[in-house]
Amino acid sequence: MSATNMKIMIEKTRLTLLLVLALLLAAKAHAAAPGITGPTFNLVATPAFISQPDGATVYSWGYGCNGNPAGYAPAAITTGFCNTMQVPGPTLIVTQGQTVTVNLINQLPSAAGNTSILFPGFNVTTTGGVPGLLTQEAAHLGTVTYTFTASTPGTRAYYSGTQGDLQVEMGLYGAIIVLPSAIPGACTSGVHASNATARGSSSLAHPGVTEHDFRLAAAAYSHPGACYDREYLFQFSEMDPRIHREAEEQSTRTCTGCMSVATEPYVPAYFMINGRSMPDLMDPNYAPEYPHQPYNGNPHMHPGELTLLRVIGTTRWQHPFHEHGNHVRILARDGNLILSQTDPNSLAGPLLFTTTTTPGLAFDGIYYWTGKGLNWDPYGHNSASGSTLPCTPDPDGYNTGAPTAINYFEWCQDHNKPLQTAPFGDIAGGGPATLPDPNIFANGAWFGGSPYLGPDATVRAVGSTGTTPPSGTVANSPTDEAGFAFMWHSHNEREITTNNVFPGGMLMMMLVDSREFVIDESK
Amino acid sequence: MASRKLGALLVLVGLALIAARPANAQSFQVQCPTSTITHPTAANSEPAYTGATTFATGAGGYLTPASHVNGAIKCQQISGGDGFATMGDGTQTYLFAFGPLSGLQDMANGLPGTEFPSVFNVPYGGTFKPGDPATADGASSIGPNPLSGFGYNGAVGLAPDRDCLADPTCAATIPASGINGHVDTRPIMDVGVMNGNIPAPLMVIDEDDEFFLTLTNVGQVMRPDLFEQHTVHFHGYPNASAFYDGVPDASVAINIGGSFTYYYLAPDAGTYFWHCHITPPEHLQMGMVGQIYVRPRQNRWSGDLYSGLTAQQGDLRTKCDSTDILCSNPLPAVNTGASGGGTYAYNDGDGTTRYDVEYPIQIHGFDPNFHFVGMTFNPEAFTDMKDKYFLLNGRSYPDTVTPGPLATQSTDGSLHYSQPLPAIINIPAGGRALLRIADLDVTEYQTLASLGIPMTVVGYNAKLLRDQSGNNLYYNTNSITLAGGESLDVILDACAVRASDGSCTTLMATGTYYLYTPNLDHLSNDAENFGGLMTEVHVCNSVVGTTFGNTCN
Repeated sequence: MSATNMKIMIEKTRLTLLLVLALLLAAKAHAAAPGITGPTFNLVATPAFISQPDGATVYSWGYGCNGNPAGYAPAAITTGFCNTMQVPGPTLIVTQGQTVTVNLINQLPSAAGNTSILFPGFNVTTTGGVPGLLTQEAAHLGTVTYTFTASTPGTRAYYSGTQGDLQVEMGLYGAIIVLPSAIPGACTSGVHASNATARGSSSLAHPGVTEHDFRLAAAAYSHPGACYDREYLFQFSEMDPRIHREAEEQSTRTCTGCMSVATEPYVPAYFMINGRSMPDLMDPNYAPEYPHQPYNGNPHMHPGELTLLRVIGTTRWQHPFHEHGNHVRILARDGNLILSQTDPNSLAGPLLFTTTTTPGLAFDGIYYWTGKGLNWDPYGHNSASGSTLPCTPDPDGYNTGAPTAINYFEWCQDHNKPLQTAPFGDIAGGGPATLPDPNIFANGAWFGGSPYLGPDATVRAVGSTGTTPPSGTVANSPTDEAGFAFMWHSHNEREITTNNVFPGGMLMMMLVDSREFVIDESK
Repeated sequence: MASRKLGALLVLVGLALIAARPANAQSFQVQCPTSTITHPTAANSEPAYTGATTFATGAGGYLTPASHVNGAIKCQQISGGDGFATMGDGTQTYLFAFGPLSGLQDMANGLPGTEFPSVFNVPYGGTFKPGDPATADGASSIGPNPLSGFGYNGAVGLAPDRDCLADPTCAATIPASGINGHVDTRPIMDVGVMNGNIPAPLMVIDEDDEFFLTLTNVGQVMRPDLFEQHTVHFHGYPNASAFYDGVPDASVAINIGGSFTYYYLAPDAGTYFWHCHITPPEHLQMGMVGQIYVRPRQNRWSGDLYSGLTAQQGDLRTKCDSTDILCSNPLPAVNTGASGGGTYAYNDGDGTTRYDVEYPIQIHGFDPNFHFVGMTFNPEAFTDMKDKYFLLNGRSYPDTVTPGPLATQSTDGSLHYSQPLPAIINIPAGGRALLRIADLDVTEYQTLASLGIPMTVVGYNAKLLRDQSGNNLYYNTNSITLAGGESLDVILDACAVRASDGSCTTLMATGTYYLYTPNLDHLSNDAENFGGLMTEVHVCNSVVGTTFGNTCN
């Protein structure tokens, strides 16, 4: 083997190890949009080291909690913590109309000088601190207080207003979520009520087991078009390790505000969502191995659930966030609902399959996946083997009238319709597609083991063992989850790397799970 | 312990054998059925759309079409492998690339390689040679070459399954012709190896079509150390299945020496694209990206367009009312009374996306260092990736305005049509051109500006720009900016003054206009400081033909 070939082998081995490690850690981790509640928040800006999947620990600055916060949300996640430094900063969760008070203490090194927080979109009054360019700032070991009314609902960014080219790069940013004061009736009735029933213990898909509600609210805005069943928050940022290294080197200087770090040229090597890179990104929220990166990105959903994406861009670059599996309806930007000019009940935001994240800009969007229009039954139902499972279409064509059924929200037009010409196992045949010899495939780690959705279909499709030889589907067990995995990632594809190694960076797998799989975001 | 493991292994092997039986035992194969559940009779043309398909429950317990069978069956075969392309400064650049293995003549003419079964399922009468169709055309030099009418658009390699025909039991299960997707490997290797294209082969289907896309992995001759798998990701397809989504982590990837047929019912009309999803920062930078677009039903409706869209509401799969948050074409707020018979970007119901000529425009960028490293067995760096060739349909100016396919000599000594698509926009004066623009770049955002002719953006990310109340949200601009991974539909209107009834009262002056990038550093071909992301728009007295390969009079 030549030296260069050996290099390639080393690179490939490293990659494989990374992936295997990722999978060991990623199993069963879910997401939601966790944060802390107020309306008074005692924050502190502090240095600490955050970790990256290549083994690097990167000197960073972040906002954290000065003492215990008033509470954590959503209630179904009970493992929350808030250290004195985290990246992104704590997600501040308040309700429309509340008076929000943020007390900030500056515990950055004295060489870093002052720091502050901007809350774009709110009318902020300040108390204490020292004058800065954009707002009142907290001097080294000093404090400043920001007060504002959470006047309108939505997702917004907050970030340092002091020497942003350095301080935001170092990690001083976070999200504030304002929940609407009034929830439209449409969000708690009709199909949303049925979705709640389907999560309950009476579901024949998981009898006796209740799937918890991990939402912060039932609507993102006081508008019937803003109802949702599940939600996730993703904050995009990139990091140039040279800047962090130089800041670390200068952090011990004893003078005040004398740090001088060149922030150009800018060559980021880490591309992060919620402060983590793939595969760390898919580990649980509040995983103990990331004391300063508590938030993850590991979305799950059931077919038909409206899923709210709260997405924020930070640092400097735009990132084209590509959601596999369906489009996203943009509801709002920076907390401003986008409505029709002629009818305030109608939405007017665009439908996008690539949602650009822009520094300082937040958007809320709605996504769902139902399998509508595949022209084959993704559950592999087989009427020939005596299956008489009904599928009764509602006016939109879905089986929503039976919330406790195992095939709740199935797209009925394709019920029982075969995909394969001559399938193996208890799956309807006579369909259009012939699958080749499995030996010419390489199976992915998130491959459910068959073309079909859910453990019931997959076990029927591939026999009693629930594995398709050759196996290797370790992150999406054929007998337990067998979800449809979709990659959600930056389509500036070089950003799905970690310090030059693929896979990594801004990449996560979203799983659509059949009703049998109980989604537990607290794990 | 050891025997238990052995036992488990034997069970696995046994399962593998059983599992393999219903599958075609051959590694290379194509699939293009002449009829299916959805298209019960031979579907070799697009029937007129006269209403939503109605269904009845059949013997299998599932719905089968009862009336108004819409759409057809379309098939395409592509190779996954490598090749070379010619850059605007004459440099030969190494590609990881897809190449055409069906519709060879159409592809050489700048058309999609997507074919009806009646075309796809015809074996070639002659003997393929490396480089075909360029070799058969007598291509003699790098760059543009005259076409001599190669004359074959079927599936390369297709051959009667003689082994099956010789066995009466097997023969009873296949057509008497022996054409069942069986292929002869040799012509596939002769044509497919080192036959990479940039952009990857164009695919075009119509709403209601069933699409069978066979990917055949012929290996990468220049990088035998990589044993690369390939896949096809249908970028932007709504409600995709994970199995056919082409993400190797979430599905299966196709090894060298194997074929895999992707199956989709055409989604909503719009401009999508497709690419390999193996190590995307590498395979996309190296060239494994192309466009697929879906034409709307409205093209097949002859009555008034509002009634046509109303009739489409009878189809649960595509209906669009306020209850579905992810549909974009509700009935228009204003019934313009426009009548059908034209070609449209979307099912608009008001004729506002009507066009006369259409052009797929694919933006891409190549980093020559990365491509060199990609050819030479060295580890790749991603943080330093910097594009220096800026491509429209795989070419830099002035190659963008060269008619016909560009040929590149490959390491097999043959000339191959490496870049079949020009980027010449011919518009009849007073007419409209639809530009289906996709950005396939993997490093940065790209801007494309129109010098002289305003752009009207009618679609974005394969969706009509319309709010839930039916108000069109089109906007006029002279430049569009896209991320890698986005698409956008623009109409260029070569009419200076248009009357309220839509007729053109003052034609735009004939002549040459330009599409170019105001990212001025992208107007370069590596070290050459003039070229890059730029092409010409010709406003003509008349245009013969509706897309690339047409003539401007």
